[in-house]
Amino acid sequence: MADGWQIIQNNLDVFLAATGVTVQVAVFGLAIGFVGGVILALSRLSSFRPLSWAATLYIEIIRGTPLLIQIFFIYFGFSAISPLLNFDAMTAGILALGFNSSAYQAEIIRGGIESVPKGQMEAARSIGMTRMQAMRFIILPQSFRLMIPAMTNEMVTLIKDTSLVSTITVVELTFVGKQLTSRYLEAVPILSFVALIYLILTFATSRAMRYLEKKYQIPGYGEAE
Amino acid sequence: MNQEEIIRAVNIHKSFKGHEVLKGINLSVSRREVVCIIGPSGSGKSTLLRCLNRITEPDDGEGLFEGKSIMGEDVDIDEVRSHMVMVFQSYNLFLHLTAKRNIMLALEKVRGMSKEEAEGRAMEALRKVGLENKANAYPGQMSGGQQQRVAIARAIAMEPRMVMFDEPTSALDPELTGEVLEVMKNLAYGGMTMVVVTHEMGFAREVADRVVFMDHGVIVEEGDPATIFTRPQNERTRQFLKRVLQDEPGPPPA
Repeated sequence: MADGWQIIQNNLDVFLAATGVTVQVAVFGLAIGFVGGVILALSRLSSFRPLSWAATLYIEIIRGTPLLIQIFFIYFGFSAISPLLNFDAMTAGILALGFNSSAYQAEIIRGGIESVPKGQMEAARSIGMTRMQAMRFIILPQSFRLMIPAMTNEMVTLIKDTSLVSTITVVELTFVGKQLTSRYLEAVPILSFVALIYLILTFATSRAMRYLEKKYQIPGYGEAE
Repeated sequence: MNQEEIIRAVNIHKSFKGHEVLKGINLSVSRREVVCIIGPSGSGKSTLLRCLNRITEPDDGEGLFEGKSIMGEDVDIDEVRSHMVMVFQSYNLFLHLTAKRNIMLALEKVRGMSKEEAEGRAMEALRKVGLENKANAYPGQMSGGQQQRVAIARAIAMEPRMVMFDEPTSALDPELTGEVLEVMKNLAYGGMTMVVVTHEMGFAREVADRVVFMDHGVIVEEGDPATIFTRPQNERTRQFLKRVLQDEPGPPPA
């Protein structure tokens, strides 16, 4: 039986490619989640009731059902609705993670928006800015700073959740880990190495976010921690 | 209609959760006039001010800005607000922007100025309040008095027809109120139209052209400061002034 380290070395290119897929799924998932999250958060805060209700309903359904079911639903279920929605595994996985993350990010963004002092909006409106301008130039820039810690959690969670798309045959890290384990029957070194790669990805993410938090800190405001 | 009239509020009503805060207010302010609104806490002064630019939506009543109604659905209230800018008790400077950028933002986004033009105007406004050396400071790096002066600079940089002050010195330490009142005095003597909700009786007496005394959601009495402070006609005005002037330094009014 081959030595564990030897297996890893021999398959390094496979691991590398799989890491690339994992990163790709995570990045696109987070991006879709962010755009969707902003739209959902603003909808929830809208004074137009039907819009706010629709956003709330969406968020509750997504948060209240398993991500794995959502992944299966988009991959297997959507093609039954319309042939136009027949996605390949990668696309389905990214969409599922993105739609899922948008619900969580929406709540983070809403929390961030609501923690900006009320006087900021009033000051912007009373000097003649429209609600949109006030949101864009005053409220959102401030709230993004406030939501960095919660956003870091969501990013780390999503990176780990990408492992679920292995179930719909996306050849990412977990998929490759399982495959090599059954080929070499050496679970411990292979899965440890897979876990290590996830750890590196999540650790790098949280450090990068910490750097952003410091960099975009508002001088003289909330500096004491 | 008086051609020099800037705003007129007619029969303004406002209730919060069944409690009537404004019970039919009529108020008119003319160009270059300084009107101080005084009265006990909870008398509706701040709510009245906020109803004038519809930051708080009145339940009933009419508001005219330069003779035109500002109450209808089709009114561009943002445009109106940019001409009757407000200064708040808690300054409300934009926390993520430097003093200069605080002033520039609305010049660029509301007035459509170029960056260079807005910057020039911002620096000029900062000079007027004596804070050009704080142009690149963030609100959190300035004292309350400095922040409020920047807030005033932000307001006057818009070259508004009128500035509304909502208890501009109430959140300040006593030793910092002087610098803000000084800036406001200069503004008043420079001919700015001002409506000032204030507890600073000294300021009202010295600077106001007209003092309005409010209590329990109505205007009880109004007139020139000499009359209001020395010969108030209404018992409630007398009681209020007696209470607040006891705490004031200097000789009481005759």
